[in-house]
Amino acid sequence: MRTIRTYLRQVSFVMAILMAFATVWASPAVASVVGTGELLQEQQVDLDRSSLLSMLEQQEVKDKLAEMGVSQADVEERINNLTPQELAQFEQQLADDPAGGSVVGIIVLFLLVFVVTDILCATNIYPFINCIR
Amino acid sequence: MVVLSGCATRPEWPAQPAHTPIPEHYSATRLDQRQLLDHVPFHGQELFQCGPASLAMMLNSQGLTTDPNELKNKVYLPDREGSLRVELVATARSYGLVVYPLQPSLSHLLSEVAAGHPVLVMQNLRLSWWPQWHFAVVVGFDPDPRRVILNTDTREQHEETLEVFMATWTRAGNWAAVMLPPDQLPATAEPLPYLMAVNDLEVTGHTEAASQAYAMAEVTWPEQPAPIMGQGNIAYQQADWSSAVQHYLRLTQKFPELGAGWNNLAHALGQTGCHAQAEEALEHARSLNPDRFSEPLESDSSGAASACPVMAQ
Repeated sequence: MRTIRTYLRQVSFVMAILMAFATVWASPAVASVVGTGELLQEQQVDLDRSSLLSMLEQQEVKDKLAEMGVSQADVEERINNLTPQELAQFEQQLADDPAGGSVVGIIVLFLLVFVVTDILCATNIYPFINCIR
Repeated sequence: MVVLSGCATRPEWPAQPAHTPIPEHYSATRLDQRQLLDHVPFHGQELFQCGPASLAMMLNSQGLTTDPNELKNKVYLPDREGSLRVELVATARSYGLVVYPLQPSLSHLLSEVAAGHPVLVMQNLRLSWWPQWHFAVVVGFDPDPRRVILNTDTREQHEETLEVFMATWTRAGNWAAVMLPPDQLPATAEPLPYLMAVNDLEVTGHTEAASQAYAMAEVTWPEQPAPIMGQGNIAYQQADWSSAVQHYLRLTQKFPELGAGWNNLAHALGQTGCHAQAEEALEHARSLNPDRFSEPLESDSSGAASACPVMAQ
């Protein structure tokens, strides 16, 4: 048990550094012209974010969230805090789904990420999960 | 019965063409009647060389003069006995074409064909765990009796059943692309993916084709800032400062909330020697994105300003 804990601590340390880098890269101060590709990437991220948010408006998703005891506002806030990389990952999940995107499946996957981050104490949405400290 | 239907789903023929950005251009687009693009020339492949042959058909169909033999050096790897997809795409770009990857659906693929555009597709002719990759060009279709018409290997206008085509195409990730000159829009073009395809031309140095495509996109999607910014950025790269200023001015007039537009305008103005106006534009950019545009302008240009624009407030 103890070895697992040490190991997890190292993993979360590495993850924390990676995440910090991701945030640093997200909006560098520019001293030159902004490239067309950069603008397009930003627009794509906004589009991904709003399409993810619009999924929360569907009744079956609302039901599922209620069933899992998560408030819609929490999920919305989390979506707004996602980095472009994380958003792209979810969009990839949507694109890979052969059935054309089971929305409930995506949202549940999304919630699984919450659970994982909760275990590492990065977030605190699920009160029933005991943190590994 | 349930089990059987589970493993042998019958692919459906799309009833409606995919959404098009400019419907009036493609009002005749129909998927319920036979279509055949007779203008696409045919090149039979030599051993293992479906890549050069398919690419030659795509390029020839746009009036470009080349043949599989000439393309072989650019896209064929003798060691691997095949071609890489990225090389086909990059080579098409070197001919000034916009390579637009389609959404992975049959209705998008057929809509392009119905609009007169041959489509390059990738197939896996064997099994997912033991692949045999293949390139072919879709040149037509027939809804009755459900055929996809391909120029493939040594067969011209080969009529493949929908079942076989879908199985082999799906095993290759449903990859399909059209290759069009910058003044022609794909029938299924969506603004952001299309502009990204044009940006690929811009960053690979095919600026003339990219400018042309951006100019067309500006007319097609007036709500998009990227086409104007792209034209400005190309002028800026070419040190054509006054054109860059014109484009960026138009950008900031149409999209005053876009900080990047003001930032780029500031840099272009700085280059023309209009330092006061440049500072003013940078102030706009900073008021919109304080962190991002915090760096000061480099004032390396000492040339006197000839005709500085009056900044709109």
